[in-house]
Amino acid sequence: MDPAGVYATSYSADSALVRTRAQAICLVVFLALLVAAPFVVGPRLLAISTVMLISSVVAVGLQINTGYAGQINLGQAAFMGVGAYAAGWLATRFGMPFWLTIPLGGCAAAVFGFIFGLSAVRIKGFYLALTTIAAQTLFHFFFLNLPWFGGSNGLQLEPATLFGFAFVSDRSLYYLCLVVTVIMTFGAYGIARGRHGRAFVAVRDDDVAAGMMGIDVVRTKATAFLVGAFYAGVGGALWAYFVRFVAVDQFTLFHSIWFIAMIIVGGMGSVTGALIGVFVIKAMQETFVTLGPSFVELFPGLGGELVFALMNVFLGGVIAAFLIFEPRGLMHRWNIIKRSYRMWPFPY
Amino acid sequence: MNAGAVDTSRAASAASPVLRAEGLHMAFGGIVALNEVSIDVRADELVAIIGPNGAGKTSLMNCLGGFYRPQRGRILFSGEDVSGHGVHQLARAGLARTFQGTHVFPGLTVLENIMVGRHMHMRASIAQAFMHFGAASAEESRHREVAEEIIDLLEIESIRHQPVGSLGYGLRKRVDLGRALAQEPKILLMDEPMAGMNTEEKEDLARFVIDVREARKIPVVLVEHDMGVVMDLADRIYVLDFGRLIAEGPPAEIQRDPHVIKAYLGERDQ
Repeated sequence: MDPAGVYATSYSADSALVRTRAQAICLVVFLALLVAAPFVVGPRLLAISTVMLISSVVAVGLQINTGYAGQINLGQAAFMGVGAYAAGWLATRFGMPFWLTIPLGGCAAAVFGFIFGLSAVRIKGFYLALTTIAAQTLFHFFFLNLPWFGGSNGLQLEPATLFGFAFVSDRSLYYLCLVVTVIMTFGAYGIARGRHGRAFVAVRDDDVAAGMMGIDVVRTKATAFLVGAFYAGVGGALWAYFVRFVAVDQFTLFHSIWFIAMIIVGGMGSVTGALIGVFVIKAMQETFVTLGPSFVELFPGLGGELVFALMNVFLGGVIAAFLIFEPRGLMHRWNIIKRSYRMWPFPY
Repeated sequence: MNAGAVDTSRAASAASPVLRAEGLHMAFGGIVALNEVSIDVRADELVAIIGPNGAGKTSLMNCLGGFYRPQRGRILFSGEDVSGHGVHQLARAGLARTFQGTHVFPGLTVLENIMVGRHMHMRASIAQAFMHFGAASAEESRHREVAEEIIDLLEIESIRHQPVGSLGYGLRKRVDLGRALAQEPKILLMDEPMAGMNTEEKEDLARFVIDVREARKIPVVLVEHDMGVVMDLADRIYVLDFGRLIAEGPPAEIQRDPHVIKAYLGERDQ
């Protein structure tokens, strides 16, 4: 609901993402901070920020498939890997420019994802989750053994270039990822609030009634997989240009589970929630990686290995805690706070 | 002369039913749920289907709605054979349905639920939705207008942005009806709309059904247990018992029909 005094005079204004002056100011400030970040933060934080941007694209895609359309997908990292390999292969083998390989990487992942989307037509829930783990295994097997992708050596990439400018520096890569992430996020908002987004939620909430509304349930489920995988592929292609090296062990089941964790923590069924989840989870992971060594110094008796193992236990605990205490994620909590602030002093 | 021509064409359209079921037969194992049931629904009439528990009302509804495939018989919709069509194909052909209990989408707002009903009339592709501005946004506003008309008709303006999951039963049923109307159906099937409602909610919903018929001029098929509602609303009634059609006619006739009385109240042994 809107705060008092905010009203729309047209239907498009009523469905706009930014409704109040305060929201507009926040968005502008946020974007300005993102643009200014490379000149403020150090190289390590900049690298972390770039990884966050790339993960955002992938997590937003997973949000569409799992959060909106309700199809559990434990293969998002594999879809990302397909995008990374496809982009790397097209760039090294055919010398394609990055503005072609990034969308084509997305398309390759979309095709791969679509195949698993077809299996989602008949199965849901746990069984679908198991099937998507198969995507993970197939990805690992194929790209390790097919002759074009460098086997266990992986793929080395030349830097992305545009009109003679090479994206080599950390700053330029950050901006490349920022632009792509902003475009993809805006697109996700568009899909989520349009007829397709509603069809995804309709199929998630009640597929029988959705069919009665003239929605082709089979097609909608497959489309959700296709879109989610496309996002993963674009993220993977960005990753390929960021690291300039692609290998299968960068995209494991472990990574897929982290993507799920991101959308759980952020809040299922919200694009903004996916972005928040990426920030929280990545920030937590990096904090632990940074604090780990000093922890080992403090308690030398524990030993490095134990500390790093405990980190994973702790992170897993955080996810479990979220599932128990805040299963609908931070976005849901934020909405409650916002609502009670607008209603104050009335309880509802 | 002209007037006569109009009259005959009107008579012809009244004579050819919007929905016709011919000799539907459906058995689950040894239990015959529908035994050679034939019904006609003509333009602009409200047909009620009644019968004691287990008479086959819901089976008939599920056959008409495309959920069940009858073993024999066929279903004609606007003169076209639609037996064997899938649920979403029937919806696209112009058949809408409200559900027993609630089948609204709890994760969407009232407005979004009704906009889901517009889904099949909208054309924006995923790529256009991605861009949002332009085609997708314009289409959205156009269909929003239709949705708002329905919101006005059903008097749910104040809750249009509330998630349906937070609404009470009566309001959910109203959203369910609104969603079906948004499909701009040629016929509306309602499966026990009054079940589980109190008198006030029933009166409200009955009023909306009357309003809807007035505004949209579409035929309605109503399966209902509440005899008061049926007798007040229906133009014509079909009575089922043990899968068999035992009576058909206007409410006043049905109330006096000895077969119907027997089916509902039993017969004293002689």
